[in-house]
Amino acid sequence: MSDEPAPRPFPQRDRDTTPFWEAQDKHELRFQRCTGCGSVRYRVTPLCPNCHSFDHEWIASSGRGHVYSYTVVRRQTHPAFPVPYTVALAEMEEGPRVAAQVRGHDGGEIALGAPVHVEWEDHPKQSLPVFVLD
Amino acid sequence: MTIRNQAAIVGIGRTEFSKNSGRSTLRMALETILDALDDAGLRPSDVDGVVKMSANRDIDEVELARALGLQNLRFFAEVPYGGGSGCGTVGVAASAVATEMAEVVVTFRSLNERSERRFGESSVGGGVGGWNAYYAPHGLVTPAQWMAIFGRRYLHEFDHDTDAFGMVTVLARKHAATNPHAMMYQRPITIEDHRKAEWIAEPLRLLDCCLDTDGACAAIVTSAARAKTCKSTPAYVTAATQGTGSRPEVMTAWQRDSIAHLEETDSAARELYRIAGMNPEDIDVLLVYDHFTPMVLMTIESYGFAARGQAPSRYREGYFELDGRVPLNPHGGHLGEGYIHGFNHIHEAVSQLRGNAANQVAGSPKTALVSSAGGVPTSSLILSLEAR
Repeated sequence: MSDEPAPRPFPQRDRDTTPFWEAQDKHELRFQRCTGCGSVRYRVTPLCPNCHSFDHEWIASSGRGHVYSYTVVRRQTHPAFPVPYTVALAEMEEGPRVAAQVRGHDGGEIALGAPVHVEWEDHPKQSLPVFVLD
Repeated sequence: MTIRNQAAIVGIGRTEFSKNSGRSTLRMALETILDALDDAGLRPSDVDGVVKMSANRDIDEVELARALGLQNLRFFAEVPYGGGSGCGTVGVAASAVATEMAEVVVTFRSLNERSERRFGESSVGGGVGGWNAYYAPHGLVTPAQWMAIFGRRYLHEFDHDTDAFGMVTVLARKHAATNPHAMMYQRPITIEDHRKAEWIAEPLRLLDCCLDTDGACAAIVTSAARAKTCKSTPAYVTAATQGTGSRPEVMTAWQRDSIAHLEETDSAARELYRIAGMNPEDIDVLLVYDHFTPMVLMTIESYGFAARGQAPSRYREGYFELDGRVPLNPHGGHLGEGYIHGFNHIHEAVSQLRGNAANQVAGSPKTALVSSAGGVPTSSLILSLEAR
């Protein structure tokens, strides 16, 4: 567990997103794949925007991706997030771009395209992925 | 029937822009509405419609009606998506008067963004639903942080350094420096000031972020026919549109092929020019929503005033100066005048067309393009002096 000075905001689950967040508590990053047309979609939504099928399955991400963009936050704006910290938007192998903190990053420059993999942090209300630079 | 030139802005009003207004947002809204009605030669009893930004949920339509002593409000609507919605309120108001669902419609924005809730300080706590459930738990909790993700891609894809952002603020502060209404009146900056400014969320520095402001602006919209009877010079709504583009999200539309341009704004631009029957060459003055500098560059490109990635070159050429090809934010915008969520840009557009702006641009502008925020579902307007 991290020693945060204030509770983090946590995802409020709803009837569409519960399977997504429950999987994260089991340290699995998963995406919806349409069983009609096979397209992977993110963020969670009930309907396939490609073929309009409601039918889908959950697929586990490999947890591997590359940095598409990132920010180093240096002005504190929320009591739960002491600065500095780095949040990356990583493009996962399955296609979706996922945001998460970069573990152990010192605030230096990260080359866009740098490979990352997912590890997990357990917080009181929700386990969350973090990225680790390979 | 199209919306083209069916309606006009006939009255504008504004408060002072400060760090502490000392009064309620409702009070400021009422002050500016009365000023705008007076500007038009209209009375409160003429008002039969209100369109507001959803960001102003603190002000109930019925509280406005009660305070103004209206006998009946027959049209009221709300436009969502924060800074993306300002021009949309005028567009909705124009559609209401064009269809005779209302005749005199009030639009406004009133906020104590500096002295009350600052957008740069997140109040997100506990469980977060909707789109932000995917971001806030990771520490992406403010607009600067979300916009930084886009800004990084812009620098990367077009091989710019952060001076590209700095030029935006330098020009805004240059314009504000000669605008007595501006919070940054007589306070210009240099590119060196920008380079030395503290980081907020890299690659954004403090000087890439808009000001925090208390204040309000209002605009009165009526039909083109009624406009001719008003005492002011009408600014005709030549085109109005909204836009989401594909795969839209509130402030995190990051699943698109490229996020180094703004698909919402690209879509709005195409539609706006189509409705107006105009091209960028027909625009005399440009008002771009400047919450964060990268979005200004991308918005300029969306509206066709520079090729993709080339807005910084236009800045270097002097293209957006008061005597340039298309003067940009002559009032100083959100980076220099004040942050009234895009409504001070509408106020400035009307003032420029009337010829009485603080930094009046050369050559008697006849058309003004106003864009609401980029990086969110957006809206825009073309206002004209002549209804052609």
